[in-house]
Amino acid sequence: MSNIQNEMRAVAKELLESGKATVVLGWEKGTMPYDSTPVMIRSAADVDKLIWDEYCLQNLSTYLIDFINTEDKVAIFAKGCDTRAYNRLVHDRRINPKNSIVIGVPCSGMKNPKVAAKTPEGAEVPMANACKECRYPNPVACDQKIGSDVTPWCTAKDFSDVEAIEAMDADAKAAFWKEQYSKCIRCYACRNICPACNCTNCIFDQSASGWCSKDVNASENQFYGVTRAFHVAGRCIECGQCEAVCPSDIPIMLMNKKFIKDIDTLFGNYEAGLVTEGTTPLNSYQVADPEEFM
Amino acid sequence: MKTVEKAKLDGFLGQLAQKYSVLVPVDYNGLTQFAPYSQVQEGVSKLYLDGNVTVSPKTVYLPQSEAMYKFRAQGKKLAIEEMPAMDKQQVVFGVRHCDTKAIQCLDKVFLDEKFEDPQYKDKRDNTIVFSLACNNPKATCFCESMGVDRAHAEASVADVQVYDFGDTYGFVAISDKGKACLDAVSGLGEAADKLPEQKPQSNKFDPSGLPAKLAGMFEDPIWDEYSFKCLNCGTCTYVCPTCHCFDINNKIRGEVGMKMRTWDSCMFGEYTLMAGGHQPRVGKKERVRNRFLHKLQYFNEKHDMFLCIGCGRCVAKCPVNLDITKFAKQVIG
Repeated sequence: MSNIQNEMRAVAKELLESGKATVVLGWEKGTMPYDSTPVMIRSAADVDKLIWDEYCLQNLSTYLIDFINTEDKVAIFAKGCDTRAYNRLVHDRRINPKNSIVIGVPCSGMKNPKVAAKTPEGAEVPMANACKECRYPNPVACDQKIGSDVTPWCTAKDFSDVEAIEAMDADAKAAFWKEQYSKCIRCYACRNICPACNCTNCIFDQSASGWCSKDVNASENQFYGVTRAFHVAGRCIECGQCEAVCPSDIPIMLMNKKFIKDIDTLFGNYEAGLVTEGTTPLNSYQVADPEEFM
Repeated sequence: MKTVEKAKLDGFLGQLAQKYSVLVPVDYNGLTQFAPYSQVQEGVSKLYLDGNVTVSPKTVYLPQSEAMYKFRAQGKKLAIEEMPAMDKQQVVFGVRHCDTKAIQCLDKVFLDEKFEDPQYKDKRDNTIVFSLACNNPKATCFCESMGVDRAHAEASVADVQVYDFGDTYGFVAISDKGKACLDAVSGLGEAADKLPEQKPQSNKFDPSGLPAKLAGMFEDPIWDEYSFKCLNCGTCTYVCPTCHCFDINNKIRGEVGMKMRTWDSCMFGEYTLMAGGHQPRVGKKERVRNRFLHKLQYFNEKHDMFLCIGCGRCVAKCPVNLDITKFAKQVIG
């Protein structure tokens, strides 16, 4: 890890000193040993703040949205999932690839900070949930790369958790999701950290419309959860950030994975965030598409 | 002091539940919050007394959603139905000292001398608080710095002081309501008054100079430095025991409707959005600055106390670890 960290600092220093980048986004150490948090570096003198450890979970690509209308040239460090997020954001025309430099960093999987917070110091901490199922630990696209590619530890998608829910009867499914979403406090952390949730105007920021009230209860909360899941369907890059930041421990990825499974079944295997152009399963149609439900 | 063995806590809470509505800190499928003790009795939730809860007991006085009144169209007139007042006293067991201090902050807002909020006051008047002293603060805790007395709960809020002695809980009545509550329970032991051993808090700083210093920092570049990583989600404000902003909404179906009070967050785009479409707090910088200044300057100027009591929830739960103590220490210098 420390070699990569040194390389990160050297690359950041070179980019800032040469003027190729005016801003470098990376991670710095946070409050707790299991907190590695985004940092914005504008001066080569500050590059030693940059760290690379097993808690650099957060995707930095979404921050590029904040720079779309600025003169800044922004360099970001990006793991495999972060490059898929980057592609997704370019595909959605929400970030400008011309003013960004992506420095790919192969990743061996991050640890689960929520578990770490409850684990005595020094004890073994498991991998973050999404990382356990990661098939793209190496950057899928980048301008330059540091470190060496790792061998992916997963080759196929694991839908066993989705299948367990599918096996329930309708009442049990309804009860399960009602129970989970009764915990939601509607902080919208899942939405705001999500690279696929990048709308300039979100339906859930328009309470006067009457679509979804600010009344926090299991019904309105489920409407929020289901609507968001539908909206990121076909666009979710499986980084698992939504679930990782949820203060209420709602298994949000379970719903996203259900959509991924359905898309694979209905339209053939699909991986979001691998390309930046062209059509995707849920935003294209063919005249010959079946419409049995009409 | 009165005592009860931890193994017999269920019996103690059960006795209280016969006379009062009892709220306890619980773990409900991974979310820790205050909930009716009946949830524990029914096995829906587990009693959670090992640490402080994620969702603070401000929900007891200021629920996330609360009906203010109902209305119904009757021809051309509108019939208003007031919400009923509490019909029974409630006991809240296990409120930490930091959170009693937080309720003192809320009192400044909702029991203001010019306007008392009737729904808040009704709950305040009819609630008996058992406040539990923390022996093992977390690394994110900084309540001592914010003026919380770890040995004694805030007396204007707590009715019974609770101490954790390992195998037993000790109770000392603070108010008459608290004494009556303890008198209503049978089978309590007696012990000499003493304090449990409390581990020191590691995160410490002196915030006394902050209000004056921050007053001259509205345009400081520090706000860009700190706010860039903020997601503008509402986690900090919703887990905060002192954040108390709310919005008033209508919920109307056909001819019947309800006026609702719901939590709001100064991190959200609809907050401070004006009718004409103007948004004075356009983005992260303005919103983070407002929240931190409200906590560490504005409230202090008005009420002579901070609107942050050092529970550390925002530090622990912020998705991007935007740490108000790091900020405070940097400003102090």
